[in-house]
Amino acid sequence: MNIQTSQMLRQERQNKRFTDKQTQTAAKYLRRLIELPGEPEGIEPFYYALGRIYVKMQGLDLPQGTKTVGTYCVMAPQELIYAAGAVPVKLCSGNYTAFSIGEDIAPRDACPLVKAVAGFKQTGLMPVYEDCSLMVVPVTCDCKKKVAGMLGEMCDVMTMHVPATRGDDEIDEFVSQLYTFAERLEQATGNRITYKTLADGFAKVGYAQRELSEFIRLKKQNPYLIRGSHTMAIMNAAAYMPADRWAAALNRVNVSLRRRAAAGQTVTTKKLPRILLTGSPIVFPNLKIPLLIEEMGGIVAADETCMGERGMYDPPVITDDSFDGMIRALANRSLRPCPCPTFADNSQRLYRLKQLIADNHIQGVIYHVLRGCLVYDFEYKRIEEELGKLGIPVIRLESDYNEEDVEQLRIRIEAFIELIKLRQAPEKRTEVRTAF
Amino acid sequence: MGNYYIGLDGGSTYLKVALVGYGKVVDTLVRNTGIDNDGTARKLAAELCARNNLTPQDIGYIMATGYSRKVLEVADDDISEITAHAYGVRLTAPQGYRPGMIIDIGGQDSKIIYLDENGAVRNFSMNDKCAAGTGKFMEVIAQILETTIDKVGPLSLEATNPCDINSTCVVFAQSEVISLVARKYDRRDILAGMHLSMVRRMIKMMKKSEKGGDILMTGGGALNVGLHRAFEQELMRDVFVADFPQFNGAIGAALIASERG
Repeated sequence: MNIQTSQMLRQERQNKRFTDKQTQTAAKYLRRLIELPGEPEGIEPFYYALGRIYVKMQGLDLPQGTKTVGTYCVMAPQELIYAAGAVPVKLCSGNYTAFSIGEDIAPRDACPLVKAVAGFKQTGLMPVYEDCSLMVVPVTCDCKKKVAGMLGEMCDVMTMHVPATRGDDEIDEFVSQLYTFAERLEQATGNRITYKTLADGFAKVGYAQRELSEFIRLKKQNPYLIRGSHTMAIMNAAAYMPADRWAAALNRVNVSLRRRAAAGQTVTTKKLPRILLTGSPIVFPNLKIPLLIEEMGGIVAADETCMGERGMYDPPVITDDSFDGMIRALANRSLRPCPCPTFADNSQRLYRLKQLIADNHIQGVIYHVLRGCLVYDFEYKRIEEELGKLGIPVIRLESDYNEEDVEQLRIRIEAFIELIKLRQAPEKRTEVRTAF
Repeated sequence: MGNYYIGLDGGSTYLKVALVGYGKVVDTLVRNTGIDNDGTARKLAAELCARNNLTPQDIGYIMATGYSRKVLEVADDDISEITAHAYGVRLTAPQGYRPGMIIDIGGQDSKIIYLDENGAVRNFSMNDKCAAGTGKFMEVIAQILETTIDKVGPLSLEATNPCDINSTCVVFAQSEVISLVARKYDRRDILAGMHLSMVRRMIKMMKKSEKGGDILMTGGGALNVGLHRAFEQELMRDVFVADFPQFNGAIGAALIASERG
């Protein structure tokens, strides 16, 4: 055997190890989701989408020849990508295996999300990354900036500037970014973005947003019709499904939830503490925190995270229905209501959290910080203070993309849930004891 | 219904049981955890009742805490150590203690719990990945110095010139201590150095922002006078020691039980 073949075989073995490990982790988290009691009818297409990408390791389920465009933040408008005849796919990663590879590429203090992205791109084994005709990286933090450069060496990347404030000048600047994005999309797909295709893009995403708002309305109910971990799976699956297909699947979940509501059926009859999950992104398969919360007897009644409900929450508002007016609507939607901590003044997030707390009868907030995610960590103090005034306890959970800290997280989460339970009237024992 | 409550604390090394009635600690018992956690717990509960002329009917509720809490089926419910310790200090804190920080030094972990002014848990930090700063650490060092864990504290108080021990890991600290012994350092100085090194490590775990209220030591580690003094020296403030420090978790569990029975 010559050196070349032996190196090739070695690489093949390495690749196989990566693939095996990666698929096992993803399959395990899918299984934990399925085993969690109370899943709604109609959730299967979402599991299928997650399983297809991470367990079967295939690309998106699309007709032959459909181009995909990778995005790394909700600020890159999906409407534009659909208008170019392509399908967006969110590439922010929660993958433990890719993270461990990325640790050798990115510096120690980089966040695990960026490390995982770098790891995936390095291995070149994930179709969902490799298939992309273009990647767009909105620069929302220093890590994203560097990952944009890193990805640029391997594929076609657009670095999208995100301003730190949201004045009119900054919106104008972002509008010009969107025009550049449109051009880059046309080059990458070979399709023209016209008034009509843009309107179609709006319609596609709009359909998904309508279904989402109905889903959020149903989810708000107390007692709950669905668990937060299942919601998380549904919201995460949106990253890997075309918007119209995702919306159609969500429609079926909504129908089943309405049926549950009408029949007075809830996930459980127990009074579980209602928890709001916020902070750094929670990306499949890194669902350890929502799963732990619900396995330890809490319920994630709402979330304020960018792979969760935030993603499609705000619809674009078109006041001028020219082409430029629609682009401006996208720019406004991406920046003005966004509660992302990339902005210098982010009072927006506080309002949003307070609204979620009121709407969902939240009793406690779990603040998730990915190690190295400075912007989210920065906001913790203020949020803890402000929510403290409302008498809402907040706990900060710092975590990484590995399972070594699960036991520590478990005890922290358990104690937090107990803290909320102890504020409620206790369940009393009535039987008389006869022996030990 | 019974007016007495039992708290079981299934720790890594010992199983502690506390009997609480009418808002007071009535009695406590401790036994090696052994293999059959639940069996030991049942025996201890029965023993505790017999000693105090009580029958099972008198026990309104049993609450378990500690590592093995999930297997203690004799208990009606279980609660995490954090909550149990926070409750425990309501009965064990000495007079004049204003709720603030609890330092719990157990057999195989140590934790710091921050309380608000009403004694509710606000936050906590734990060291449960390594044995530095735990009872196990003291035990290992005591063995090298040919003494026992109960003498470690008093001996260290006699030190004149505490040694520097910089390793934070038990295994490394062990070799560091062995080399100090080889260099003929006084074991009292070594012990004092060990306490200071443990304390400095624990202080690093403490949050700078959580400075309100007083500091209270619980857990078996609180029985060590040397450690207590080292904390006061390094923190430069009063450190209180709980009554029944070893039983703080069990007492807290019993107190929570009293809200359920």
